[in-house]
Amino acid sequence: MQRNNRFSSVLGRSAWPPALLTLSLALIAGLTASSLNLQARDNPPDRIPSYVAWTPETIAAASGGDAFRGMLLAKRCDHCHGAEGFSPIASTPNLAGMDKLATWKQLEDFRTRKRLSRVMEPIATSLSSRDVADVVAYYAALPVLPDPQDNRTFPQSQADPGHAAIASRLISFGDGERGIPPCQACHGPVAYRTGVPSLATQNAAYVLNQLEAFANRARTNDINMPMRTITALLTEGERQAIADYYGSGLGLQPASSTAPK
Amino acid sequence: MNWPKLRTFLLTVLVLCLIPATRYYQIDVPLLRFLRGSHHVDPLSLHLSGEFVENNLGTEQEPDGSVIVRMIAQQYLFIPHCVLVPAGVAVHLRITSADAVHSLTFNGTDYAVKVLPGTISEAQLQFPRPGEYKMPCREFCGAGHYAMRSELKVVPRDQFPALRPEERGNCAAQ
Ligand code: HEC
Ligand code: HEC
Ligand SMILES: [Cu+2]
Repeated sequence: MQRNNRFSSVLGRSAWPPALLTLSLALIAGLTASSLNLQARDNPPDRIPSYVAWTPETIAAASGGDAFRGMLLAKRCDHCHGAEGFSPIASTPNLAGMDKLATWKQLEDFRTRKRLSRVMEPIATSLSSRDVADVVAYYAALPVLPDPQDNRTFPQSQADPGHAAIASRLISFGDGERGIPPCQACHGPVAYRTGVPSLATQNAAYVLNQLEAFANRARTNDINMPMRTITALLTEGERQAIADYYGSGLGLQPASSTAPK
Repeated sequence: MNWPKLRTFLLTVLVLCLIPATRYYQIDVPLLRFLRGSHHVDPLSLHLSGEFVENNLGTEQEPDGSVIVRMIAQQYLFIPHCVLVPAGVAVHLRITSADAVHSLTFNGTDYAVKVLPGTISEAQLQFPRPGEYKMPCREFCGAGHYAMRSELKVVPRDQFPALRPEERGNCAAQ
């Protein structure tokens, strides 16, 4: 204590390390508290659309199924979804050729009651996670393009040309004025986003049901709300036109090739 | 001032300058992240927990009259699609991306906010005049980019409805 340190008169040298420690702890506590402050308000409970997040692990789990085993499991689905993945009932979705991730997510959401369906919930709940991966691998492997050998039930309807023009414009270009992105940028065939179901071979009645369900929030399992947002911007007539367009098989080519000049 | 002291001083200044630099260049230093409160979010699980769950998006009123607006940018939409704010108050924007790089701009103003996946972009905005502003994305982000545009509604302060926490995404003025 010989050196006449400026501080040693206030605090003994031995008091320094604990004092510094306390000071830095207080600083850290203060900074974390101030950053937490933004979140810690009297917020209502989080509304979670779906427990699925497209992490690499989820994608690996959803796409690693065994299609052969899936074929055996799919016997249970045949009488509603059709033996070739094309459903005879217009309000039941076709599953043939559907992206594995898309069908996997829907089954997961049925099971966790994030998508409500009295029919599909018990079925999805009865499948193990391995079964789900296998059955979606089977449906993904079924052919989409028409084959004269089979007796599929698609397309079930014919689109009215006036309707088809409205639909193909929305599907290929969307509507920049209203901020509606083109459907085919997410749903294909131009580009697919992760976990987005293809619509090209989907039944009209089912497509319309789902568009309506998103619009009136009966279906809320779209992650980050793209479909709830888009369907709310579409008119009733536009939703009908789009459903007819897909339901009549026109969606198999990119819509711009059928769009009016 | 002698050289060793000067050297220590300069070194300290340099180190202090590096701290904001890590933020500017998006360098991830775990200790600093902890100290300043995280600006990092997982773009794949925004919907599961934290600040960007869907019912927290939109406009939150602060006791001092200013507002916080939280948004998500994704290919090819900004969510919420329509945002309501009062005129002439400080608007504190917090936005992140779920996928690609986007840029939120406000037609008729100079504001442009770059939005990156994995980090929260913040901006202090103010809209003195009531009106409707289109908010297009100005960073090419893919096939539907040109239709990626939302709307901002600025209403006079006295017409701004008192929003309950579950009404943050509500875009209808009184
Ligand atoms: C009793 C009839 C029935 C059976 C059996 C059935 N489903 Fe379904 N499934 C439906 C109906 C109806 C819907 C549409 C639900 C809705 O409208 O929300 C559906 C929807 C689905 C969907 C969502 C598709 C999409 O595009 O979003 C998947 C995936 C699915 N079923 C898979 C299966 C699998 C796998 C099986 C067999 C293990 C199966 N279903 C058995 C009637 C059935
Ligand atoms: C930003 C991307 C995006 C765009 C653009 C988009 N969708 Fe979707 N759509 C999705 C996603 C993601 C889902 C799956 C939601 C889920 O995870 O359950 C979906 C689901 C659907 C479904 C339900 C399909 C099924 O099998 O259950 C229909 C129908 C649909 N979209 C129609 C449309 C139409 C019509 C348009 C154009 C007006 C459109 N979508 C534009 C992302 C998009
Ligand atoms: Cu964009």
